[in-house]
Amino acid sequence: MNRGYYWLITALSIPAFLWLIPTLWMISLSFQPNEVLARTTSTTAFGLVPIPFTAENYAALFSFGQTPMWFLNSAIVALGMTLGVLAVSTTAGYALARLEFPFKRAILVLCLVGLMVPEQAVFIPLYTMFADLGWHNSYHALILPRMAVPIGVFLMMQFFKSIPKDIEEAARIDGVGWLQIFWHIMLPLARPAMMTLAILTFLYAWNDYLWPLVSAREPERFTITLGLASIQSNFAQSEGLGRVMASGVIASLPVVILFLMFQRHVVRAMTAGGTKG
Amino acid sequence: MAKGRHRARGLTEGQAAAVLLLPFLAVYAAFLVYPFLNGVWISLHDWNLLAVAFNPDAREFIGAENYIRTLWGRNIEWGLFASPVMQTGGVLGIGLAFFGYRSGRLTRATALALGIAGALFFLMPGFHPGEGGRWYDRRFWPTVGNTITFVALAVPGVTLTALILAAALDGETRAKAVLRTVFFLSQVLSVTVVTLIWQIMFSPRQGLIANVAQALGGSPIVWLTDQQLAMAAIVITTIWWSLGIAMILFLAGIQDISKDIYEAAAIDNARGIRAFWYITLPNLKRTITLVVVLQIILHFQVFGQAHLMTQGGPNDSTQVLVRYIYQTAFRDSELGKASAMAVVLFLIMGAFSLVQFILGREGDER
Amino acid sequence: MKHVLIGTALAATAVTGATAQEVTLGRFFGACEDAGTDTTASVGEACIIQSIINAADAELDGITVTTLPTDWGNYYDQVIAAYAGGEPPDVHVMHRHRVPQFAGLGALAELSGDLEAAGIDVSDWAPAALDAVSFEGGIYGVPMDFHANLWHVNMEIMEAAGLVAEDGSPILPSSPEELLEHAAMVEAATGHDYLAADFAQFPIGVRLVLSLMWQQGENIFTEDGTATIDTEAARNAVTTITQLFDAGHADPQLNYADSQQAFLNGEAAVLVNGTWVVDFYSAEAANPDVALSDYYVADFPTLFAEGATWADSHMWAIPASLKRDDPETYAAALQVLAFINAHNIDWARTGHMAVRNSVLASEAYAALPHRDEYTGTASIARDTPAAENYGAIQDVLNRELQAIWLTGKPVGDALSDAELEVQDLLDG
Repeated sequence: MNRGYYWLITALSIPAFLWLIPTLWMISLSFQPNEVLARTTSTTAFGLVPIPFTAENYAALFSFGQTPMWFLNSAIVALGMTLGVLAVSTTAGYALARLEFPFKRAILVLCLVGLMVPEQAVFIPLYTMFADLGWHNSYHALILPRMAVPIGVFLMMQFFKSIPKDIEEAARIDGVGWLQIFWHIMLPLARPAMMTLAILTFLYAWNDYLWPLVSAREPERFTITLGLASIQSNFAQSEGLGRVMASGVIASLPVVILFLMFQRHVVRAMTAGGTKG
Repeated sequence: MAKGRHRARGLTEGQAAAVLLLPFLAVYAAFLVYPFLNGVWISLHDWNLLAVAFNPDAREFIGAENYIRTLWGRNIEWGLFASPVMQTGGVLGIGLAFFGYRSGRLTRATALALGIAGALFFLMPGFHPGEGGRWYDRRFWPTVGNTITFVALAVPGVTLTALILAAALDGETRAKAVLRTVFFLSQVLSVTVVTLIWQIMFSPRQGLIANVAQALGGSPIVWLTDQQLAMAAIVITTIWWSLGIAMILFLAGIQDISKDIYEAAAIDNARGIRAFWYITLPNLKRTITLVVVLQIILHFQVFGQAHLMTQGGPNDSTQVLVRYIYQTAFRDSELGKASAMAVVLFLIMGAFSLVQFILGREGDER
Repeated sequence: MKHVLIGTALAATAVTGATAQEVTLGRFFGACEDAGTDTTASVGEACIIQSIINAADAELDGITVTTLPTDWGNYYDQVIAAYAGGEPPDVHVMHRHRVPQFAGLGALAELSGDLEAAGIDVSDWAPAALDAVSFEGGIYGVPMDFHANLWHVNMEIMEAAGLVAEDGSPILPSSPEELLEHAAMVEAATGHDYLAADFAQFPIGVRLVLSLMWQQGENIFTEDGTATIDTEAARNAVTTITQLFDAGHADPQLNYADSQQAFLNGEAAVLVNGTWVVDFYSAEAANPDVALSDYYVADFPTLFAEGATWADSHMWAIPASLKRDDPETYAAALQVLAFINAHNIDWARTGHMAVRNSVLASEAYAALPHRDEYTGTASIARDTPAAENYGAIQDVLNRELQAIWLTGKPVGDALSDAELEVQDLLDG
């Protein structure tokens, strides 16, 4: 490693540290007593060090019986949405990238147009539609609408396009059907890209807020993001800052851990196809 | 039907495509296309959310009335100098398109897109209420302006920062991996958590920024209640939050560039910043277009930051379109008008993305 | 057991509504996890209301009460969406100022015929409370409180500035000029601000200005729907406040949390805030670590001709659809309302004013902390004007007032803009 490299790393460490500060501050505040925070957030080292220390805020959150259930709901919804998005995106992405069929361009344009539909534009029709079907308050009500997002299709399409055609052509000559090619050849190749899409979808699902807020009416169907938001009172910031911060940390923790575990895939994913060529 | 004959090869290409596309198209049609068209239909009605819930006949077909009430006004006039800065910009755009095309530097599609954009910039801001006139909805156009301002700050902000970081952090070393993680980490937080942190970060009394400023002898900056700084605060929050995915798309793009090119360039002494400028950037054009279009689409729909951090204030300076739609629909129950605004937002987003696409294609072809 | 089975079965198939005696309840105030069922020991709005609900769940035979978690900031949006989707909670809390919007559309059940059978004595309600839940001759809810803006006073600072009367109460201004004088006295004696309030976030500044307009006998719009905001009275009201900003005796940049923190830290003599924080501030003042130690609650002073302070009511309502389609759950819901009504004294511990005459006259009520200090508020409490879209009107006022003190928009411009927009809203 040359001098330039170390210089670069040092230079980037400063913004990286600044980048981390808000998160560190949140964690530190979550370990400080609410009474102290009501007066000042800057007790020790601008509040970045949790002195005076308390774990009370976390204990309070977990004493609330429903927190584990909300975690479970979030996990079910996020996993369900992830699997659903993967299923529809890989199939559609492959068809759009590699197969020739009538109206292909029209379907592509339709998907592109769908990207620009603001969530709020479909929100109410969707809400009344689910109400008419009596679907609210269920896992599928939380999952299904999010599967209709075309971004995954685009990512997968982009990926399949980058896989060289010869693999497929060889299989065709051997008389392998299109669906077999997709299932046995393309899908294994697509694993890294699917990983990326899975992580992005999972993140999105985990943090989804507005739709669950109106769709999940019973606490039994609340996701953790929603549940924790619901226990922040109107003026929470002034009376229970520490606890609000603790709830933020708890809600974020699983996705952070998940990300740290799978982060290598996130970057590698989209490149794998390209570099194979 | 043709099963027997094609047994060896399974389905035909068209049939296979249909099978593969069907699941997506089904959910897409049911949960996006249909509700959206439904929304368009609602936008043609005087439709009170609550009233219609109790009495389905309480809606009334009023045609384009909602669009007129949103977009237009009484005694609207057009003037050459109503908004000199934007109009001059528009004229420059038209000029650029014309000469660019004539000199062969721009393709026809690009020149056309640029020209139309310029013409719109020249025409649109020229409209203003004349003597005794007024906009029917006085808040709509300023809100559109705020949204565009946000997009104009957030998109380049995120794109440039992400691009620079991606270029600097591309590589297999552990230090770089750690730094990549740090910059991506904030992306995993939810909008409620992000706005919570930053709302308190920016607070003039409780805020970390204020506390540090005070310790250094400065006076705390009031971010969220200052007309200029409130938007900046929201943009800063957004960059901090949503840089990660852009960075990763860029990293993927950079890793797609063949290493041979860099090695060849290194022989010509093109390293570091020169390599970034002459090799990385030109080869990333497609990725940049993709990132920019995704960002435009994403940031036009900004809601949480403005809703939770500033409530659109002060003085409406951070009121954005989606928040206005949300308020119109839920606070005021004016579903018809809210749907009309959503359709307008859709068209604006479409227009911006289209221009960006055409400009991005330009780079591709050359 | 049977209910559990039915409940599980229904939850599993995601069908809602028809559970025999399960009452779903929607409310704001925030959640309280460990509220318990002791309605006399809980502290703070969230825990007090939740303890009452928990007690109802435990004590009412054959009725289970499920609190639907909601998000304060989006509460009404959520309730409206639920009504629009045909699945509103069986019982929900709301503000009096929302009655015209909800009852006007027929969303709420008319309760007058059923209250007595449920054990709710309407004649025990204070006249203003009955008025709060009445709409076009019908009763559309069970009132729970009056809440109003108060002046929360730091007596230590007032003492230092020589603003304490012989009986130990603070000397408060009686005119805008005197307000400025007092502020200058506080500044000279202690260097602190005279007044703090949330001028930058929630519409507490709006409520201040409204109170000052009412004190001049004016309102923001007339009965027949004409906006009257660009007026002398409004200008007087606004300049009463801006003079403090201009002289540096108050800080318009503080939001709710900041202003509260300033007051608790002993950096402001007066905090303008509602009744809902009285028990919280009393508890804080008793804490030796908190700078505020001598806490007093005063009625909003009269700075113009007549006394007036902003007030509203919390009340509980039942959807009309429940009364029509599901008489069993409707009866259960009424039982829950009766239970809440019976625990009016417990809710009053928050600092809110009770609605039942029997509670208002009780010794237990008079013995609540600081209660004797703001007895005058009941008689000067004024309601927000009734309008179907009051939410939007309040937002317009909040925006324009904030524009005045945060962004320096000229008062005349802001008021005329506000008048135009409020007129638009009134015209629909």
